Amino acid sequence: MSLMKRSLAELVGTFLLVYFGAGSAAITLMIARGTSPPNPFNIGIGALGGLGDWFAIGMAFAIAIAASIYALGRISGAHLNPAVTIALWATRRFPAADVGPYIAAQLVGAALASFLFAACVGMDAVNVGGLGATAPFPGISYAQAILAEAIGTFLLMLTIMGVAVDERAPPGWAGLIIGLTVGGIITTTGNIAGASLNPARTFGPYLGDYILGQNSLWQFFPIYIVGPIAGALIAAFVYDYLSRD
Amino acid sequence: MKCFLCALEKKDTDAVAICIVCGMGVCMDHLVREEVDVWEGGYPFPAKKLKRKLPRILCKPCYSVYHEG
Repeated sequence: MSLMKRSLAELVGTFLLVYFGAGSAAITLMIARGTSPPNPFNIGIGALGGLGDWFAIGMAFAIAIAASIYALGRISGAHLNPAVTIALWATRRFPAADVGPYIAAQLVGAALASFLFAACVGMDAVNVGGLGATAPFPGISYAQAILAEAIGTFLLMLTIMGVAVDERAPPGWAGLIIGLTVGGIITTTGNIAGASLNPARTFGPYLGDYILGQNSLWQFFPIYIVGPIAGALIAAFVYDYLSRD
Repeated sequence: MKCFLCALEKKDTDAVAICIVCGMGVCMDHLVREEVDVWEGGYPFPAKKLKRKLPRILCKPCYSVYHEG
């Protein structure tokens, strides 16, 4: 399969993840608009259903990720995430020449998703929903946010290593298990820093918010680069160490 | 082993292969030999088509079921 086709598959997969996943967060905020959250830690996601709001967002991500993996996994590998691509490259499982095109495709796919989501929903998606952008919640420091993103992505990458990369893994389960893992991470840690776990997933909404709403969140972007990449790298090397005889 | 399909036609022909689906012996006139693509890998890596193909022999009835439904 040509690099162009594989990159296009990454673009489509990341588009689906951001459109449906981040889109669900934006819609949740729009539905909760006008309610009075009970405390400052609650920005609206959770105002209606408590942790159930986060579960719904997590399931939207889970289904979009599972669908993308089953639909596109044989074509590009369906990384959908620069942190995953970098971790596979760092452990010598993915060619260096393909890393740049894959990441570029993931970023373009995420950006397209945010712009098309705004086109479908209207400016409330930007002004109220923030296009589902991630940022540290009130009271969460920059360092805490990086740590939370790193730990979340550690679990994601460890699961990918065990369920998909390892040749001893049972076939056919990867998409479902990895999707549900992301859903679980979002449900439990979404209210810390958004549980992005993915630089591309944050890039799309940030670009959309910046261009369409003149709302810059770029000061938080290093959180979603450093945390996920560090977590994915540590997980890949830890798994290799643990699984070696 | 004799060709089962020839035997149905009251002919006595030696079989040269066995259908991988139904197991009947078949002569050259009653078999279909195909070369099937073999793919390796998959998520989280792109699947690759191997250079060499896998030969597969079916009897004509099984072949028609596979291709015509």
